Order: sequence, then C-alpha cells, then structure tokens
Amino acid sequence: MSRSRIFVASIAVLYIGIISTAGAQDDVLILDEDVQFDADFGFDDDLFGAAFDEADSPATNFWLDGFTIKISQQFSGQINSHGVDLAPGFSLPRKSELETNRLGINIRYQNSFAAGWLLQASGHAKAYWKDDYEYKANGDSIDTEFRINELFVQRSFDQHSLKLGRQTVVWGETVGNSVLDIINTTEFRDFNIIDIEDARLNQWMLVWDYFGEGSNFSSFINLYPEFNPAAVRGSPFFFEPAFNLSDYDRDGDLLVEVGTQWRKSFEGSDIAFMAAYLYENQLRYEDPLSGVGDAIAEKNDFLLLGFSANRAIGKLLLNFDLAYSHDVLADSFNFPGTASLSNPVNLKKDQIGTSFGFEYAINNDQNVSLGIQAQTLLDEDEGLLPGQSLINDGIFGSWLVRYSNSLRNGDLVISSTLQGDLEANSLLALLGVDYTIDDNWAVNAQIISINSNDDSPLLLFAEDLRLAATITYSF
Amino acid sequence: MQNYVLSKGLISLLAALLLLPVSAFSQELSPREIMDKLEDNRRATSNSALSRMQLSTCKFGVRDGKITCAERPRVKSLESVGKGYGLDLKDTKSVAILLEPAAERGIGMLSFNYDDGARDNESWLYLSALGRVKRIASGSSDDETEPGSLFGSEFTTEDQDTGKLDEYQIKLLEETVEASREVWKIEMIPNQERARKSRYSRTVMYIDKERFIELKVEMYDRYDKEIKRLLGSRVELMNGIWIARSTTIMNLVTNRLSNMAFLEMHTGIEVPDEFLTQRTLTDAAFRETELEKLRAQIN
Repeated sequence: MSRSRIFVASIAVLYIGIISTAGAQDDVLILDEDVQFDADFGFDDDLFGAAFDEADSPATNFWLDGFTIKISQQFSGQINSHGVDLAPGFSLPRKSELETNRLGINIRYQNSFAAGWLLQASGHAKAYWKDDYEYKANGDSIDTEFRINELFVQRSFDQHSLKLGRQTVVWGETVGNSVLDIINTTEFRDFNIIDIEDARLNQWMLVWDYFGEGSNFSSFINLYPEFNPAAVRGSPFFFEPAFNLSDYDRDGDLLVEVGTQWRKSFEGSDIAFMAAYLYENQLRYEDPLSGVGDAIAEKNDFLLLGFSANRAIGKLLLNFDLAYSHDVLADSFNFPGTASLSNPVNLKKDQIGTSFGFEYAINNDQNVSLGIQAQTLLDEDEGLLPGQSLINDGIFGSWLVRYSNSLRNGDLVISSTLQGDLEANSLLALLGVDYTIDDNWAVNAQIISINSNDDSPLLLFAEDLRLAATITYSF
Repeated sequence: MQNYVLSKGLISLLAALLLLPVSAFSQELSPREIMDKLEDNRRATSNSALSRMQLSTCKFGVRDGKITCAERPRVKSLESVGKGYGLDLKDTKSVAILLEPAAERGIGMLSFNYDDGARDNESWLYLSALGRVKRIASGSSDDETEPGSLFGSEFTTEDQDTGKLDEYQIKLLEETVEASREVWKIEMIPNQERARKSRYSRTVMYIDKERFIELKVEMYDRYDKEIKRLLGSRVELMNGIWIARSTTIMNLVTNRLSNMAFLEMHTGIEVPDEFLTQRTLTDAAFRETELEKLRAQIN
C-alpha cells in the first residue's frame, strides 16, 4: 500500500473512530422516522434540570474563566503523484507524500480585570511530528514553535477606547480579497490556509477609537512595522533561492505606520473613508553587491487613500472597496507565501485598485459570495527602458467565490471555494467539510486542487491534489 | 452561513425572551382576546430586558416510557440585552453574546428589528477571527423564506414569532386539563397568505387559564401530520411575570429536541442607548463595564 493510501486510510479510520465514540449511548430506544406520537409519551423534565441548579449557585468571576483553549492535530499531504513540465525534456516530479503532521494548542485569554480595562492575549504552540515538512527541515527531528498572536491592554472611558499591544486592524468590506485589508502582514504557509483571516499576523500598535454620536473614528500608530515572512523551508511554497532571503535590517531606523478611518452607518448601509502612511508588507529583495551572502531586503513606504461601503438589500449584501496608493513599487511581485524577486525595474508608481462583490443568503442554510479584486498602475510605461516591462501590467487581480451549506442544524457544514486570477491562468478549488461532534470535538476535512498554465506563478503546483484533515478539541 | 443563522435567531431572540406573563381571571374571553392577551404581555416584557439562557439540543429516544436524549446534548449559553424603540416600542434593538461553547465564545450580534414590514431588519456580527464588525444581510422577517433556526437549535423564528393574529383563524376547541392545570385548547389556522410563509397548516395550543402560558403546542404540516411538539414547564413567577423557564420543542420528523432554559430574565432594566451600538461588539472593555452596571441594577 502506498504512503498516500495509508494516509487516506488513516484519516478515514480516525473519523469513524471519533464519530462512533461520540455517538455511543446506553439503553435508549432510537425511534423510527415514521413513529406516530400521542399523549402517552412522557417527558423527563429533569433532563435539563442541571442548568437551573447551576444558575442557582452563586456566580463567581474567576480569572481562569477567561481562558479558551483549542487543541488540534492536523494531517495534510499531496495525493497525486505527477510531474510538472518546466521546460522541454525537464519535468519536476511531485510525489504523493504527507506534508503536515502537527499538533497545535491555541490559547486565548480575555479578562476585564477592572472597570473600563481589558487584557486580551492569544498564542499558539505547535509540535511538528514525523513526515511534517518542518520535521524534515529540522534534520528529521521533532520541531516546535511558539508564537504570540494577540497581546494588548485596552482602556475604555467615555467615548474613547485605547488599545496598546499586539493586535489586528482590518479595513475594507469585501470578503477574502479586499484591496484595503493591507494593514497587517500575512503568512500563507500552507495550501490549507486559504482565508486571509487565518493568515493575518498581528502587529505592535496603539489604536485609538472614538465613538461619536453618529459616526466613529479609528486611528492607529505602528512603531514597529513588520513584513511578510519568507516562506518556511520545506513548505509547499518554499523554493531554493539564489541567495538567502533575510529579514529587513532596520539598522537603528525608526519606522512608523499611521492611519485613520472614519466610519458611519446608515439604515441598510455602512460607509468608511480612510487614509494611511504605510510600508508595503512584501519586501523587495536585491542580489548582494558582492555576489555572495544574503539577499538585500528593501522596504518601500507609500500613501493610501481608501473608501469602502456596503448595501444590504433583503438577503443580498453588496460590498465595495476603492484604494488609491501613491508611490508603490511597480515591480513588486506579490504572491502569497513567496518573496519578491530581484528585477531590473525599480520604479515608484501610483496604483488604483478596487474590490467588490456580494454575499447572498440563498436560504437559511446556504450562502454564496463573490469577490473580485482588480488593480492597475497609473502611467505604467513611464520610466521604462526599451524592452523592459512590468511584472504586473494592465489590469491585474483575482476573484474568489465561496459557497456553504449548513446541515443538521449547523453540525455539518459543507463549503467550497474557487479562486483564480483575472487572466484565467490558474484555478484553486477547495471542498471542505466541517463536522461538529459535540460541544468540544470537531473535525474538518479538505480537498484542494490546483490547475494553472505556464503564465501563472502557480505553475509549480499545477495538477496538485491535496487532502487535509484536522481534529479539534476546544474547552 | 452560521452568520445568517445567528442573525435570524437573534431577530427573534427578544420575542423568545418574553414567554407569556400576567395573571388574568376573565372567564368570558373570546379566542382572539386570549391571544391578544398573550401579545400584550409579550410586548410588555420586550422592553429593557436582560437575560441569560441556555439552549440544549440532542437526538431523542425513549427510555422507561419517557422521552430522553439519546446522545450528549449540544449546549449553547448566551447573554442578551434588548430594548424597545419607536411607536408603541414595537421596534427592538438587541445585543447577544455567546458565552459557550468555547469554540464560539465571544461571538456577538447586534440586531435592529423593525416592526414596519417595509423596513429590512439590520444585523451586525463580530467574529474575533474576522477582526471587524460585519453587516449581515438578513432580509425582512416577513419575507417568503423558510423560518430560520434559532442558534442552530430546533426552535425557529416562526416558533417564536409574535403578532400577525389577523392572519389566523382562531378557534377554541375545548376547555380541558393539561399538566394538572386548567387550559384553553385553541386552534390557529393561517390564512392563505400566511400559509405560504409557514411550515404549519395549523397549530393547537394549550394555554394556562390563570397564567396565560403555553403548556403545550402541537404543530401540524399540510398533510395534518404532527411534526413538532412544544412543552412548557418549570412555570415560575420571575420579576412579577409568570414564565415557563424551561421550554422544550421536539421535532417529530428528525427526532431531535431542543430545550430553552431561562436561567435569568430581568425586565425594567435601564439600558443606555450607547450599549445597543456596534461599540458593544468591538469594545470588550466597554461591554463588560456596561454589563456590570446592568447587573448591578438587578442586585
């Protein structure tokens, strides 16, 4: 039996075992669907009596109550052995294998420790087991990782709120691919991280919110801007660069990002205007001058002006985002999980972008959404030498479609995601199943397929087919 | 999807908080007047309310001749604050925060529910993973869609709905005894327009004559087969209002049941308008501080 078959069989056994264990019961007659009810059946009123016993007990506000803990074990891997034709006569083999085998614990803590004060923190620890790519990258030994995601103190008084610490700032309305959702950095480490919400990284900031009578202001200052991390060695996104991709060398420089947003709600609609001074999340790498050593990481600052709006019409919600960026790098190659590559063109240009789409509730159980992102550089030919061209010319962007169907009162959710670029060079399809076994246990399974042509940066992943499964215990 | 279910659930949440109060001793009430009494009492309790409830759902079976859970119930607990606005306080603004299960802890929903059918209800959801407040397209509560589930339970918005009595033919079937209490047995049949929006061809209600509480409700489909049954128990006087603190609904088609336990319900609370805004969803320090003030009013 091949390793991929063992992998698939292991996941199936795991699922069956968990579900059968959760469903085990004693001495209860399960009724047929066509059973006819009459007044003879009594009802055990004490069935839920414990809830009232608890309510009658004196309430305590113990600080440990603020913890939420989630433990998860994840497997994922390539199940389609194939080759990618990179050049005539040269095919890159892509073999079926386990890519991730990891145990994670996420801890979240929230405590309103005094009137108007709040402490919130979250972080995770992960252990990478045998056959995980991080296990292999660690010399075939178990590797561990610890990370603080959120850590902030909040003080709210009158119409003001101040939050200091590691946190997230999210702008824009479009789900999944907003041109305005660029304040925080992202890390798409694996293909089973599709949603930007799961890839977003927090940063150290001070956020001031002002809640006015009819509108709100939200402003932030970031005194330690961070950048998208380079791909993790061994991960599906990693490829061996000519030079080591290092982090940005601050060399004592004080970097600052600032921004503000004004937001107002009307009946059926919300609008927001925003402005910010930012650094591009993606670093630009240049070859070392000496020709040896680490690549040189270059940052780029720019100005952002934005507008966002939504409009609810019955079961339809329309979303719209508009972004004008001044002095972005024209040659930035920005694909999730990969790093910018050196390019002979290094021009600052203005860029206008929009993302728009809709969310529609087909009925109470089914939901579909569409988001389209399109951007273009202004005066794109200006400054180019003869024969030079930009990596992104014309209108470039992506689209994203999501569908979900909730069954068994939400215990079983089937979802699918289709994602591609506007040039129709690539398509990523995901089919997911989430099953909530009980209040603590949940399982998730995903199938992810990628197709691309030679013009897409996803060429290396063409015909990839991945299977992933995660079991989670929350308390 | 979960967002949508949550929003539909919350829209009806306030209505659900107000299960039937007030003592009435009139012996000559018509069926319509009995139902009007129920509606009046619900409105009286919809304003300025703070409640904590627990929703439990399981597949059921029979043991020792009694209905019981055939599996460990799924439990959700939540805290909700609501307030009436507009003409006769028929519009409602409410906030609900999920306390349990752990995986959903902190999910918050703000809802504006308008009595005017021409105005769409509004809902905003806050998910910490999303990092921002998100408007939910929930549509009108009167649109021609199937009723939504209340927080993933067997309770639906239709089961908790109030008003619209003009759209029903109301008939007193008999005066009888249910759960050792004297009750009116009342049948409600929706008119043609209402029937298009309803899962039920008729409902039969057993209403406590003294306390105006539904002790039992049978719900029938278009083939006149009973598809759901609701039972009210643990009838207690809370804050001067008679209420069935434990309400169980059995889905006789899927053999699943849900129980709604009102652990706390307090009315006449002075709720500041600022609390029923998006700030309550995003500003946890503000929310917890204001909730403490609301709880202090109870004490």
